[in-house]
Amino acid sequence: MFELSGIDVRYGAAQVLWDLSLTVAPGEVVAVMGPNGSGKSTVLKVAMGLKRPSGGRVMFDGADLTQAPATARVGAGMSIVLERRRLFPRMSVRENIEIGGFVLPRAEIRRQMDWVLSLFPELRPHMDATAGRLSGGQQQMAAIARGLMAKPRLLLMDEPLLGLSPALQQRVFALMREINDRGVAILFNEQNAKLSFGLSHRGYLLESGRVVLTGSGTQMLDHPEIRRVYLGEAAA
Amino acid sequence: MTGAILIETLLNGLITGAIYALIGSGIALIYGTTRVLNFAHGEAMMLAAYAALILSTTAGLPLWLAALGAILLVMAGGVVMQRAVIAPILAREDWSFRIIAATIGLSIFLQSAAQLIWGEGFSALPYFFDGVLVLGPVRMPWQRIAILIVALVALGLSALLLYRTRFGQMIRATAQDAEAAEAFGIPAARVHTMVFALSAGLAAVGAIMLAPLLSVNPWMGVPYILKAFAVVILGGLGSFGGAILAGFLLGIIESFGVTLTSSEWRDVISFGLLIAVIWVRPYGLFSTREG
Amino acid sequence: MTEMLGRRPALTLLLLIAVLAVIPFVVTNPYYLHVLTIFLLFAIFASGWNLTLGILGLKTLGHHAFFALGAYGSAMLSHYAGVSPWATIWVGAGIAALAGLLIGVPILRIRSMPHVAIVTLAFAEIIRLVLANLKDWTRGELGFWGIDAMPALNLGGTVVEFGTGKPFGSYLLALAFFAGVHALLLVVLRGRIGLTLVAMRDSELAAESLAVDLTRWKLGVFAFSAAIVGLSGALYAHYIQILTPTSTVGPEMLVTLLAMIIVGGVGRFTGPILGALLLTVVGEALREFGDYRMLLYGGIVMLFVLGAPRGLAGWLALIGRRRAA
Repeated sequence: MFELSGIDVRYGAAQVLWDLSLTVAPGEVVAVMGPNGSGKSTVLKVAMGLKRPSGGRVMFDGADLTQAPATARVGAGMSIVLERRRLFPRMSVRENIEIGGFVLPRAEIRRQMDWVLSLFPELRPHMDATAGRLSGGQQQMAAIARGLMAKPRLLLMDEPLLGLSPALQQRVFALMREINDRGVAILFNEQNAKLSFGLSHRGYLLESGRVVLTGSGTQMLDHPEIRRVYLGEAAA
Repeated sequence: MTGAILIETLLNGLITGAIYALIGSGIALIYGTTRVLNFAHGEAMMLAAYAALILSTTAGLPLWLAALGAILLVMAGGVVMQRAVIAPILAREDWSFRIIAATIGLSIFLQSAAQLIWGEGFSALPYFFDGVLVLGPVRMPWQRIAILIVALVALGLSALLLYRTRFGQMIRATAQDAEAAEAFGIPAARVHTMVFALSAGLAAVGAIMLAPLLSVNPWMGVPYILKAFAVVILGGLGSFGGAILAGFLLGIIESFGVTLTSSEWRDVISFGLLIAVIWVRPYGLFSTREG
Repeated sequence: MTEMLGRRPALTLLLLIAVLAVIPFVVTNPYYLHVLTIFLLFAIFASGWNLTLGILGLKTLGHHAFFALGAYGSAMLSHYAGVSPWATIWVGAGIAALAGLLIGVPILRIRSMPHVAIVTLAFAEIIRLVLANLKDWTRGELGFWGIDAMPALNLGGTVVEFGTGKPFGSYLLALAFFAGVHALLLVVLRGRIGLTLVAMRDSELAAESLAVDLTRWKLGVFAFSAAIVGLSGALYAHYIQILTPTSTVGPEMLVTLLAMIIVGGVGRFTGPILGALLLTVVGEALREFGDYRMLLYGGIVMLFVLGAPRGLAGWLALIGRRRAA
């Protein structure tokens, strides 16, 4: 359904992604794991069209979206939960979520909002609060809700667990599973190997802008290299 | 100070403040959404006044139609300017000083061009409204009162546009986080262009209301641009409401300041106030932080 | 650092001064010498401002205020107190430096570029209005005329005269100050302070950790920059011998100098010199065609920002690098 192939990305003189390829099948949850600075956030930016690659192709449902702006990708059925929430701080929660469905026709926004809020009962009392004043956890819920408004078939989540307490991480986990159960494929990135691959059907390990390892979630968790380097287990 | 003089001074301050608010809120709107400081904003005023003058005297249109036409022309000019000059620079690194330099260049360019085309002659637009409002001992020409009313209506409509429409939502979202707005399908580049048109329109409204009282000349935007910048800083850089408030406030302060000193010291008072405020409250009168 | 100074800046400067020193003995046309004198004075002005734009990375727009303060300060002191201009030009530079300290404190604290740009511009406007309004002292826009020329010097039997209508001496005097100021700039830029500030300019984070000391240094460099510009103003005053507020600290002065720096190359040592030379000569050449100068300057600023943001100096450096490669 979604495919990045041979992606190169440069920031000025520095190249941050090298010949990167990645796929997401319908209904799949795919993790991109890697240490700080490995380029895993850039992968999601490229996927959403917020960063233009200098080489390679972005395909979605058989259409070449490499040159398409974010607007076109939202219309095609992709959506993103941005890193560090990135809510519009001086707007209400309601308005933030509404904007998530910007590309939808008016009447549909209302219907979609009801659907989205059924997933986030804890947001209901805060709909008219200014987004910037919510707690970190509430902001993350609102950000995910916003990402679901455009009726995505593929939801990109940029570090959705970053900076959350273990309890909230569990909540987001549960949400991701529920979203996935409703038929939405998810591509997300995360620094922690256990969190990344515990949840995903498949995963990619990124180091210095290159995919160094890929496999199913359990394969990744069992891989000796990952166990040694990223899970801190002594080599068997 | 007698009551009548007090009211008259206050009214004069509100009228001047209305112009500052119109010009300043436009600059704040542009800065708020794009982080661009537009030094050519005063020339939108100048061009609006000339356009109204030419449409009404040379083309012989009725005054109100000439005014409307001038506003639309200047809004279109804002679109062209944003596309041709601002957008290409925004696409590069280290753009913020380059934009300042380029718009200063553009401002001087437009002034000189106007001077070459229309000469240094000073002419004025006819009054939109005749007569004098008499309220007890207070006398005020209707044309001046009209400035205040038209400005309030224009600012009110802009506020409605910003806070009650989908287009306004696009502007506010882009202002608060352009990348995030883009990620949800808001065409940020187009919003930037439209904001230029909107603020050029606000400047045009101010200029056309002033044109019957002032002479229309190539430099008529110059005294207002720096004042408008002062208003924008005092109101908290990029805040639409802050700029409007600060505009009226500065108008009133100037108006009373002039009665205490003399008119040639008016701008010294304003700019001195600006620097003093920067010492004490760098991010504006109404806010403690930037943004 | 080489990006700022170019390769072998001292040698370049020395060669340039040598060529400029030969000119008055070859070129006798007084008008040409006058144009070149103006170039030298504006080059000092532009290099002084460039110190703030380039090395401090502070995008100020009010340096023409320091020019006017130096010019009026020196002119009025020599006129009313009868002090020799040889002494008052330094006082003019000192007044500009003090004003630099005064305005430098708040802007170094804010640093936000739009605030800095607007506050410095407002400061220049205050100076213009004060000079225009204090008519009893400055004669306002009618012009402060009859300013003393620099008193003649007797150099080993040859008397050198200065001021309007004395192009030979005026040119050499301007050249001497041009050489002195640029040599001093080179010393500062290559010294510890210059190196540190340039390194810091590019990493604000590192700058934060050294904040206290650094702010004091920055303030010092800012005042130094103001002093250089003030000095150029003082020299200008005693050369042209008439000043008006608008011609010294009006928008045209701002755009002229901005054009010189941008055309030459912001933050490059040779940039302002190149820009001042080109625009002074072109501006004079266009004079006979009428009032196209400001149209040209405004247009040229836009074109360079859009098309050649590194300016002439950056362009020359690029050619040099290509040839070396």
